[in-house]
Amino acid sequence: MLTYLSRRIAQLLVILLASSFFVYNLEAIAGDPLEEIKLSSDPKKFQTMQALIRQLDLNTPPPIRFFKWLGGIVSGLWGNLQMGDARTGQSVAEAIGNAIPTTIRLVLAATILAIVLGITIGVITALRQYSRFDYAVTFVSFLFFSLPIFWVAVLLKQYLSIGFNDWLANPVIDPVWLIGIGIVSAIFWAGVIGGDLRRIAIVSASAFSSSTLLLWALSSIDWFRNPVLGPVFIGVAGLATALLITTASTGLANKPARNASITMVLVGLAIYYPIQQVLTKNVNGWILVGLAVATVIVGLIAGFLWAKEDRAPVMRTSTITAVVIAGMILLDRLMQEWNVYVANDFVSYRPIPTIGQTNDMIALQLDEEPDFWLGSLDSALHIILPTIALTIISFAGYVRYTRGNLLEVLNMDYIRTARAKGLTERTVIMRHAFRNSLIPLTTLMAWDFAGILGGAIITESVFGWTGMGTLFRVAIVSFDLNLLMGTFIITATLAVSANLISDLLYSALDPRIRVGTGE
Amino acid sequence: MKATRIVRAVAVAAAGALGVAGLVAPAEAATRSLVVIHESNALTSFNSGTPETNLVTNSDVGYLTGAGFAYYDDNRNLIRNTTFGTYGIVTKSGCALAVKYTVKPGRVWSDGTPIDGVDLLLSHVLASSQYSKDAGLGDPADTEKLPAFNSFYGGPYDSHIKGVPALSSDKMSVTLCYDEFQPDWPIMGPGPAPVHTLVQMANGKSSAQSLTQNKADKAAFLAAFNSKDTTLLKKIGDVWSNDYNIKTVSDSTNELLFVGNGGFLVKSAVADQSVTLTVNSKYNSGPKLSGGVKTVVFKFIGDSTAAAQALANKELDIYAGQPTADAVAALEALKGVTVKGGVSACFEHVDLRIGTGEEGQTYTGPWAGMSAKSKALRKAFLLAYPREGIIDTLVAPVNDKAVVVNSSFLLPGQTGYNEVSAYTKSVYDSGTQAKRTAAALALVKKYYPSAKAGSKSITINMLWGAPSNTRRANEFQLAKNELAKAGFNLTNAGGTSGWSGHLGENSYDAAFFAWCPSSVSQTGTNANFQGDGGNNFIGYKSSAMDKLTAKLETKLSDKDVTATIKAAEKLLADDAVSLPIFQHPAVTAYNSALKNVKPAPLTPNIVWNYWEWKY
Repeated sequence: MLTYLSRRIAQLLVILLASSFFVYNLEAIAGDPLEEIKLSSDPKKFQTMQALIRQLDLNTPPPIRFFKWLGGIVSGLWGNLQMGDARTGQSVAEAIGNAIPTTIRLVLAATILAIVLGITIGVITALRQYSRFDYAVTFVSFLFFSLPIFWVAVLLKQYLSIGFNDWLANPVIDPVWLIGIGIVSAIFWAGVIGGDLRRIAIVSASAFSSSTLLLWALSSIDWFRNPVLGPVFIGVAGLATALLITTASTGLANKPARNASITMVLVGLAIYYPIQQVLTKNVNGWILVGLAVATVIVGLIAGFLWAKEDRAPVMRTSTITAVVIAGMILLDRLMQEWNVYVANDFVSYRPIPTIGQTNDMIALQLDEEPDFWLGSLDSALHIILPTIALTIISFAGYVRYTRGNLLEVLNMDYIRTARAKGLTERTVIMRHAFRNSLIPLTTLMAWDFAGILGGAIITESVFGWTGMGTLFRVAIVSFDLNLLMGTFIITATLAVSANLISDLLYSALDPRIRVGTGE
Repeated sequence: MKATRIVRAVAVAAAGALGVAGLVAPAEAATRSLVVIHESNALTSFNSGTPETNLVTNSDVGYLTGAGFAYYDDNRNLIRNTTFGTYGIVTKSGCALAVKYTVKPGRVWSDGTPIDGVDLLLSHVLASSQYSKDAGLGDPADTEKLPAFNSFYGGPYDSHIKGVPALSSDKMSVTLCYDEFQPDWPIMGPGPAPVHTLVQMANGKSSAQSLTQNKADKAAFLAAFNSKDTTLLKKIGDVWSNDYNIKTVSDSTNELLFVGNGGFLVKSAVADQSVTLTVNSKYNSGPKLSGGVKTVVFKFIGDSTAAAQALANKELDIYAGQPTADAVAALEALKGVTVKGGVSACFEHVDLRIGTGEEGQTYTGPWAGMSAKSKALRKAFLLAYPREGIIDTLVAPVNDKAVVVNSSFLLPGQTGYNEVSAYTKSVYDSGTQAKRTAAALALVKKYYPSAKAGSKSITINMLWGAPSNTRRANEFQLAKNELAKAGFNLTNAGGTSGWSGHLGENSYDAAFFAWCPSSVSQTGTNANFQGDGGNNFIGYKSSAMDKLTAKLETKLSDKDVTATIKAAEKLLADDAVSLPIFQHPAVTAYNSALKNVKPAPLTPNIVWNYWEWKY
């Protein structure tokens, strides 16, 4: 194992060295950093060129300059990292330091969402193989897979932002839309649930009527201008969620699990009003972390108390429910800011932005009068569109991988054995098939998480975020070698390490695979 | 299934119960007082005076936060800002030219400190190599080490200023003395800088000081300036060169950095996202803020589609860019948005190689030198170059007022343009393109009797901009097609990135690209055509031209300037050296509710008349 690791790490270093050497020199050959200045007829142009030549050390041939740069990186080993300055004079380390949190904020949520949604839908399509739903999802996921992100972004902005904001001026849902959405929902749920004709008829009818009614009701009480959840909704939706979670986690037959889950909903309702006193404007991150920890502890305790034996599944179920309920309460708290937010002069009833990380004027107000929730709502609204865009294009991969893997596992002998033992279908799928089908996905996930820091070059640019992707793009087009190499070395290191980590994880998860034997 | 249905059914009831909260109707919007302006590039510094930070966004922000003696309007005219002060030529013994700048009494910085002549002295420190060397601040010509003030040295001010600016006894004026007449003296003047804040920051202060202290620190600067106090000036140079290079501004940022005399002051900034400016309540250094705008936000959006959509979503009030025809159509379709086509500072032109450039071996291309044959071939090439076709196809859809440019020295709309461009127009812009191409073919036939349309008698290697630029690619194609009718065969010499590095080489016969003048000056074009000019890549050496450009560097009446340029234009047309094509189109689209938005081609572009903006 140790020899394997050291061999791999040595390989990684060689790859990093060689690739950074090539990238550096290719970019140096590719363009002239002085191009724009040469074409200016500015009287100051010769001084500007002189200054840039001096600053970027352009009189040194690129291969030698590369080793100067490398020296700065290597000296990072004894804590004196020198990444040089970008051509704007800003230090590369500082630029990257600013970009990393932005990128993480942008890409992390989308990656997690894509994984969760993609795996869920992938499982459903595998279980409903060759059904209409399966075909429909296959079609949609290939469609999404092939969409260029800049185009998705433009469409999202046009409809979900500009269109939605226009609509919000008079938020009445047109009857045609009500019916249309109802039909889509009917088709979707009928597909997911499946069954014989009678069942399909019931499911579609109820899905159609419930979604149409819900939207009609929301529209008629003007909910879209004034969205809140409130304790009643949290209670009802919480109860439904508790039952769903129990079904997936242990099965409804497990009474302690069901009771523990329901208890969590009741606890959530009981603290709904008191907790509002804690979740004030001045709440800070530590209080929220504390509350999160408390939520998990309460969930564990409830599970522990309800279960007499075989406690682990019960505790798991009640904890998941507790977290979801806590999430609803948080969402509700965030929504309470909506009225204040949209009425703000600088939002003026156009809450969904097309661009940027925050609303500058809200940020300015928050400087003077901090309000955690208003700021959070502002950030949340700014992240909606990029998250949707990124999720749409990357979730297709997960759907297809999960479906394929799960189908493969379901045909294995040990699944037949499990069924023959008389295990419930839920146990067979969730415990024996699903878990094993996730193993190959670790590779994909490791890559995706490494990709997070690489940034989303196009997404960042169309949504006006300045993360690693933007730095990379700017560095390439302006022939800014220090900046380019700064972003490259981080991204490349992560990519090669992800490769190694996924190999190690693979062997840890799958006992059939062993690393380091050399054969 | 059951669960879902229950959830949905009850959600309706729940939502109904919540309906109590009532309706929120958009309130009648109060008069808007915010203007959000689009910038393609992010701000990198609050000092645009260093070579690294001399960028559009930085100088636009600087324009709103600082007022000086003059500014460019939307017609490239230099307007005197008489609210701030006056300037003019005075007679002074020992000076070939003396210019006196006087600050109008009563002008104040945003911290209340009066502005006077002492505030004009920093400009000299920033521009004079001699002063930098004398004061022990480093030699700006040293290629290894930066001087204490990392500024622009060189240029006519640096070469011709005599001594240091003389401060008047009332300290309200300074007089600059030049050893030679400078035709461009109006754009060489000093600008005010809050020197007291520089002294305070050099001494480690980070918050506003009392008025008495400010006055004392200003006196300290004057003393250091006069005695060339290396220690203090070096510290100030460090502050000036580095401390302004920040991208994030919050309440905890050193407020001394943002003392200014413009209509607006920097309030906050988010790195790579935006800068927010609010009204300077003590502003009296420029035209009165008449429009009631209280806040200006510069928002950085690199992607032009994204910016246009932000405009559609009312997140932007002013969008400026150089979009494609489709994008312009999309902008025009927006409700509540006014679209104005116009020109940017750059103009496209085609240059023909005549002799050896700055490097490489002797040029021996088809039209090398000044023989009758070479001139005729070059003339044929320029005659057949489809300038009108290029404008109609590529430029007019974006700027419907686009016209063929016929002068390499002046641009349409500038004083004297019609007069100086008349000759070039008569030669290269009369009749139809078909006639001109036929004339070109006739010229070619003289030397290549077998030439006819498509004969490819003369192969011309063309250098042009990056391949990612669609307009340039289309331009090349249009030129290739039309020139083929005159017997020319256009091949692509460059078209690669880094092409500008080849401008000085002999590897091409013709090139088209754009010049982007950043100011209007009598001498600014000289470097393009002087035998040893820094921008003369094509090896054009003409003693007649050198005489004319030398004349432009002397004191001339407006009439003489026009006459000289006219002669130079005639020379260029007869020698068939270079031909301008079109001004790059620019589009400004803005919230129709905002009045007095006037796009301007020269920096500070759209913000030049910010004081007039009004809802």
